Amino acid sequence: MADTPSSPAGDGGESGGSVREQDRYLPIANISRIMKKALPPNGKIGKDAKDTVQECVSEFISFITSEASDKCQKEKRKTVNGDDLLWAMATLGFEDYLEPLKIYLARYRELEGDNKGSGKSGDGSNRDAGGGVSGEEMPSW
Amino acid sequence: MDQQGQSSAMNYGSNPYQTNAMTTTPTGSDHPAYHQIHQQQQQQLTQQLQSFWETQFKEIEKTTDFKNHSLPLARIKKIMKADEDVRMISAEAPVVFARACEMFILELTLRSWNHTEENKRRTLQKNDIAAAVTRTDIFDFLVDIVPREDLRDEVLGGVGAEAATAAGYPYGYLPPGTAPIGNPGMVMGNPGAYPPNPYMGQPMWQQPGPEQQDPDN
Repeated sequence: MADTPSSPAGDGGESGGSVREQDRYLPIANISRIMKKALPPNGKIGKDAKDTVQECVSEFISFITSEASDKCQKEKRKTVNGDDLLWAMATLGFEDYLEPLKIYLARYRELEGDNKGSGKSGDGSNRDAGGGVSGEEMPSW
Repeated sequence: MDQQGQSSAMNYGSNPYQTNAMTTTPTGSDHPAYHQIHQQQQQQLTQQLQSFWETQFKEIEKTTDFKNHSLPLARIKKIMKADEDVRMISAEAPVVFARACEMFILELTLRSWNHTEENKRRTLQKNDIAAAVTRTDIFDFLVDIVPREDLRDEVLGGVGAEAATAAGYPYGYLPPGTAPIGNPGMVMGNPGAYPPNPYMGQPMWQQPGPEQQDPDN
């Protein structure tokens, strides 16, 4: 998936709204593994808590995606990119997530740029012409 | 572009997550013993969160591997695609989401565990998640996921039985002069779980205060 700069949302033969039940959530094993990191060694997690967090994470993705998608529509762009997600998080109150994720995204673009042989961090190839931000300038929220 | 230069100027101590005073303050909260316990718990949580964000920042600064992620990118993409308005998704979007979701899970778990410890338990339960959601403004979008009962218990019970008992009141007791929740005689919770009360119509706050001896003792 990482090798395609942007992929149409309708691929895989599924229409936008119809997602299979098992695809609506992230795997519970992965979620459980992450949750354990936040607890002391003697802490345990009930199954109901894991299931609830699993639902919460999917809701988080949908919540942020919806806001980012609205921004893209207003700016007449087709592709949701990393900057849109960061903007959505800032808008929805997740300020603490911004600084770490800005650096994470910048590093990802740097490495992707090197891998593609462009030598330039975030050459903008993964954004459609209508919008987005060039790799050099990060948006100021 | 060089974001790392900003790291020293960042203020991780500030807490944008406003706690909801209405839902975190149990009945009888004007008692000093409650305030002391509650303050300690809040300070502890604030310190834990501050430390948590600092750790996240340091971990991200050290990241070099973008091929292996703690959450599957394809599944994240499918959840994003469930929104009919989403047309195209850049390759970087699920990568950012994988990290954001990890931080979200960790933060939600950390805040929930705070409630687990308040209730002197060692197993994180669904109602702990509900408590974290209720107490944190930015988690308002999750209110439909946590069940109504858990939310109601959190709103009525507040920080929990320990604080009320430490203050010298039985848990759920309304001290004299305190306005009741709901109308006098209104049945809250599951009335079938308790024996019939002939004095149900009488308002609770007219009962004798906690300083009087309980005739059962």
